[in-house]
Amino acid sequence: MAKNSNNSKQARRKRLASLSFSEKVRILAKLRDRSKAIAASRRRLAQAADKAAQQ
Amino acid sequence: MRATLETINQMQADGVIGKYAIGEAVGATFYLEPAATLDVDIFVTLPTSPGSKLLSLAPIYDYLMVRSFKVEQEHVVIGDWPVQFLPPSNDLEREALTEAVETEVEGVKTWVMTAEHLVAIALNTARPKDHARILQFLEQNVVNADKLKLIFLRHGLLPKWKNFEGKYLDKDANGQKQQQ
Repeated sequence: MAKNSNNSKQARRKRLASLSFSEKVRILAKLRDRSKAIAASRRRLAQAADKAAQQ
Repeated sequence: MRATLETINQMQADGVIGKYAIGEAVGATFYLEPAATLDVDIFVTLPTSPGSKLLSLAPIYDYLMVRSFKVEQEHVVIGDWPVQFLPPSNDLEREALTEAVETEVEGVKTWVMTAEHLVAIALNTARPKDHARILQFLEQNVVNADKLKLIFLRHGLLPKWKNFEGKYLDKDANGQKQQQ
Protein backbone atom coordinates (compact mmCIF):
# COMPACT_ATOMS: atom_id res chain seq x y z
CA MET A 1 0.00 0.00 0.00
CA ALA A 2 2.71 2.46 1.10
CA LYS A 3 4.87 1.40 -1.86
CA ASN A 4 1.99 2.08 -4.26
CA SER A 5 1.45 5.48 -2.71
CA ASN A 6 5.19 6.30 -3.06
CA ASN A 7 5.17 5.17 -6.68
CA SER A 8 2.16 7.29 -7.55
CA LYS A 9 3.68 10.29 -5.74
CA GLN A 10 6.91 9.79 -7.68
CA ALA A 11 4.98 9.50 -10.95
CA ARG A 12 3.04 12.67 -10.17
CA ARG A 13 6.27 14.56 -9.44
CA LYS A 14 7.78 13.34 -12.68
CA ARG A 15 4.69 14.40 -14.61
CA LEU A 16 4.79 17.86 -13.02
CA ALA A 17 8.52 18.20 -13.72
CA SER A 18 7.94 17.36 -17.38
CA LEU A 19 5.51 20.26 -17.91
CA SER A 20 6.75 23.26 -19.87
CA PHE A 21 8.41 26.07 -17.90
CA SER A 22 5.44 28.35 -18.73
CA GLU A 23 2.96 25.83 -17.30
CA LYS A 24 5.10 25.32 -14.20
CA VAL A 25 5.38 29.08 -13.67
CA ARG A 26 1.58 29.35 -13.80
CA ILE A 27 1.40 26.67 -11.07
CA LEU A 28 3.98 28.64 -9.05
CA ALA A 29 1.74 31.72 -9.23
CA LYS A 30 -1.22 29.69 -7.93
CA LEU A 31 0.89 28.20 -5.10
CA ARG A 32 2.14 31.69 -4.20
CA ASP A 33 -1.41 33.10 -4.07
CA ARG A 34 -2.55 30.18 -1.92
CA SER A 35 0.40 30.66 0.48
CA LYS A 36 -0.40 34.36 0.77
CA ALA A 37 -4.09 33.63 1.41
CA ILE A 38 -3.21 31.11 4.14
CA ALA A 39 -0.78 33.59 5.76
CA ALA A 40 -3.42 36.35 5.68
CA SER A 41 -6.02 34.03 7.20
CA ARG A 42 -3.60 33.05 9.99
CA ARG A 43 -2.93 36.73 10.71
CA ARG A 44 -6.69 37.44 10.90
CA LEU A 45 -7.22 34.50 13.26
CA ALA A 46 -4.33 35.60 15.48
CA GLN A 47 -5.69 39.16 15.59
CA ALA A 48 -9.17 37.89 16.45
CA ALA A 49 -7.72 35.71 19.21
CA ASP A 50 -5.76 38.70 20.60
CA LYS A 51 -8.87 40.85 20.53
CA ALA A 52 -10.93 38.17 22.27
CA ALA A 53 -8.25 37.76 24.95
CA GLN A 54 -8.23 41.50 25.62
CA GLN A 55 -12.03 41.66 26.07
CA MET B 1 5.31 36.23 -15.03
CA ARG B 2 5.10 37.49 -18.60
CA ALA B 3 4.83 41.14 -17.50
CA THR B 4 7.61 40.61 -14.97
CA LEU B 5 10.05 39.27 -17.53
CA GLU B 6 9.10 41.82 -20.17
CA THR B 7 9.94 44.60 -17.70
CA ILE B 8 13.25 42.97 -16.75
CA ASN B 9 14.14 42.51 -20.43
CA GLN B 10 13.31 46.18 -21.01
CA MET B 11 15.62 47.13 -18.13
CA GLN B 12 18.32 45.14 -19.87
CA ALA B 13 17.62 46.82 -23.21
CA ASP B 14 17.77 50.21 -21.47
CA GLY B 15 21.17 49.37 -19.96
CA VAL B 16 20.01 49.42 -16.33
CA ILE B 17 21.11 45.82 -15.88
CA GLY B 18 23.48 43.59 -17.80
CA LYS B 19 23.11 39.85 -18.14
CA TYR B 20 20.62 38.27 -15.78
CA ALA B 21 19.48 34.79 -14.79
CA ILE B 22 16.64 33.39 -12.73
CA GLY B 23 17.95 31.43 -9.74
CA GLU B 24 16.72 29.83 -6.51
CA ALA B 25 13.22 28.28 -6.38
CA VAL B 26 11.83 29.65 -9.66
CA GLY B 27 15.07 28.71 -11.45
CA ALA B 28 14.85 25.21 -9.99
CA THR B 29 11.30 24.90 -11.30
CA PHE B 30 12.72 24.95 -14.82
CA TYR B 31 14.10 21.46 -14.05
CA LEU B 32 11.85 20.15 -11.26
CA GLU B 33 8.24 20.04 -10.20
CA PRO B 34 6.95 23.43 -9.00
CA ALA B 35 7.54 24.17 -5.30
CA ALA B 36 5.87 27.05 -3.48
CA THR B 37 7.80 30.29 -3.39
CA LEU B 38 6.79 33.86 -2.74
CA ASP B 39 9.31 35.68 -4.91
CA VAL B 40 11.57 35.56 -7.95
CA ASP B 41 15.32 35.86 -7.43
CA ILE B 42 17.07 37.49 -10.34
CA PHE B 43 20.86 37.35 -10.34
CA VAL B 44 22.05 40.32 -12.28
CA THR B 45 25.22 41.99 -13.49
CA LEU B 46 25.22 45.71 -12.89
CA PRO B 47 26.91 48.18 -15.17
CA THR B 48 29.55 50.17 -13.26
CA SER B 49 29.86 53.88 -13.81
CA PRO B 50 33.10 55.02 -15.48
CA GLY B 51 35.99 55.24 -13.00
CA SER B 52 34.02 53.48 -10.28
CA LYS B 53 34.25 49.92 -9.03
CA LEU B 54 31.27 50.33 -6.73
CA LEU B 55 28.22 48.26 -7.53
CA SER B 56 24.89 49.65 -6.51
CA LEU B 57 21.31 48.51 -6.89
CA ALA B 58 20.16 52.14 -6.75
CA PRO B 59 19.83 52.53 -10.56
CA ILE B 60 17.46 49.52 -10.59
CA TYR B 61 15.26 50.97 -7.85
CA ASP B 62 15.38 54.46 -9.42
CA TYR B 63 14.34 53.06 -12.80
CA LEU B 64 11.46 51.05 -11.35
CA MET B 65 10.20 53.66 -8.89
CA VAL B 66 10.00 56.31 -11.62
CA ARG B 67 7.73 53.84 -13.42
CA SER B 68 5.57 53.45 -10.27
CA PHE B 69 6.60 49.92 -9.32
CA LYS B 70 6.08 49.27 -5.62
CA VAL B 71 9.03 48.45 -3.35
CA GLU B 72 8.29 45.96 -0.56
CA GLN B 73 11.33 45.55 1.71
CA GLU B 74 14.05 43.99 -0.47
CA HIS B 75 11.63 43.24 -3.31
CA VAL B 76 10.15 45.24 -6.14
CA VAL B 77 6.71 44.08 -7.25
CA ILE B 78 6.85 43.70 -11.03
CA GLY B 79 3.74 42.32 -12.68
CA ASP B 80 2.31 40.06 -10.00
CA TRP B 81 5.66 38.86 -8.65
CA PRO B 82 7.87 40.32 -5.93
CA VAL B 83 11.34 40.36 -7.49
CA GLN B 84 14.65 40.45 -5.68
CA PHE B 85 17.66 41.61 -7.69
CA LEU B 86 20.88 40.01 -6.51
CA PRO B 87 24.31 40.97 -7.81
CA PRO B 88 26.54 37.86 -7.77
CA SER B 89 28.45 37.73 -4.48
CA ASN B 90 31.17 35.25 -5.45
CA ASP B 91 32.87 33.55 -8.43
CA LEU B 92 30.38 30.66 -8.37
CA GLU B 93 27.42 33.00 -8.81
CA ARG B 94 29.28 34.98 -11.49
CA GLU B 95 29.94 31.74 -13.38
CA ALA B 96 26.31 30.66 -12.96
CA LEU B 97 25.22 33.95 -14.48
CA THR B 98 27.63 33.65 -17.41
CA GLU B 99 26.59 30.09 -18.21
CA ALA B 100 22.83 30.53 -17.75
CA VAL B 101 20.65 28.90 -20.40
CA GLU B 102 18.25 30.79 -22.59
CA THR B 103 14.59 29.79 -22.48
CA GLU B 104 11.10 31.26 -22.80
CA VAL B 105 8.23 31.83 -20.42
CA GLU B 106 4.89 32.52 -22.08
CA GLY B 107 6.72 33.58 -25.23
CA VAL B 108 9.15 35.93 -23.46
CA LYS B 109 12.88 35.25 -23.70
CA THR B 110 14.69 34.76 -20.41
CA TRP B 111 17.67 33.00 -18.81
CA VAL B 112 17.82 30.34 -16.10
CA MET B 113 20.87 29.04 -14.25
CA THR B 114 21.98 25.52 -15.16
CA ALA B 115 20.82 22.68 -12.90
CA GLU B 116 24.43 22.08 -11.81
CA HIS B 117 24.95 25.72 -10.82
CA LEU B 118 21.65 25.78 -8.92
CA VAL B 119 22.80 22.71 -6.98
CA ALA B 120 26.25 24.20 -6.31
CA ILE B 121 24.77 27.50 -5.10
CA ALA B 122 22.28 25.62 -2.90
CA LEU B 123 25.14 23.56 -1.45
CA ASN B 124 27.09 26.74 -0.76
CA THR B 125 24.11 28.54 0.80
CA ALA B 126 23.26 25.45 2.87
CA ARG B 127 19.92 26.38 4.44
CA PRO B 128 17.60 23.40 5.10
CA LYS B 129 15.47 24.37 2.08
CA ASP B 130 18.62 24.41 -0.08
CA HIS B 131 19.50 20.88 1.02
CA ALA B 132 15.94 19.75 0.28
CA ARG B 133 16.25 21.26 -3.20
CA ILE B 134 19.53 19.45 -3.86
CA LEU B 135 17.85 16.17 -2.96
CA GLN B 136 15.03 16.96 -5.40
CA PHE B 137 17.59 17.56 -8.18
CA LEU B 138 19.28 14.25 -7.41
CA GLU B 139 16.00 12.33 -7.20
CA GLN B 140 14.81 13.70 -10.52
CA ASN B 141 18.19 12.85 -12.07
CA VAL B 142 18.52 16.18 -13.86
CA VAL B 143 22.15 17.00 -13.02
CA ASN B 144 25.22 15.98 -14.94
CA ALA B 145 27.46 14.43 -12.26
CA ASP B 146 30.73 15.18 -14.11
CA LYS B 147 29.81 18.80 -14.71
CA LEU B 148 28.72 19.14 -11.09
CA LYS B 149 32.00 17.71 -9.78
CA LEU B 150 34.00 20.15 -11.90
CA ILE B 151 32.00 23.06 -10.48
CA PHE B 152 32.63 21.77 -6.93
CA LEU B 153 36.35 21.51 -7.72
CA ARG B 154 36.59 24.99 -9.24
CA HIS B 155 34.83 26.61 -6.32
CA GLY B 156 36.20 24.61 -3.39
CA LEU B 157 32.89 22.92 -2.60
CA LEU B 158 34.08 19.31 -2.38
CA PRO B 159 34.31 19.28 1.45
CA LYS B 160 30.75 20.60 1.69
CA TRP B 161 29.63 17.97 -0.83
CA LYS B 162 31.28 15.16 1.17
CA ASN B 163 29.44 16.42 4.23
CA PHE B 164 26.18 16.51 2.33
CA GLU B 165 26.70 12.98 1.00
CA GLY B 166 27.46 11.70 4.50
CA LYS B 167 24.45 13.41 6.01
CA TYR B 168 21.79 12.80 3.36
CA LEU B 169 23.00 10.10 0.98
CA ASP B 170 24.56 7.62 3.44
CA LYS B 171 27.93 7.86 1.72
CA ASP B 172 31.34 7.78 3.38
CA ALA B 173 34.23 10.23 2.79
CA ASN B 174 35.16 8.36 -0.41
CA GLY B 175 31.66 8.76 -1.82
CA GLN B 176 30.89 5.04 -1.32
CA LYS B 177 27.47 3.92 -0.10
CA GLN B 178 27.75 2.93 3.57
CA GLN B 179 26.78 -0.57 4.67
CA GLN B 180 23.61 -0.67 6.78
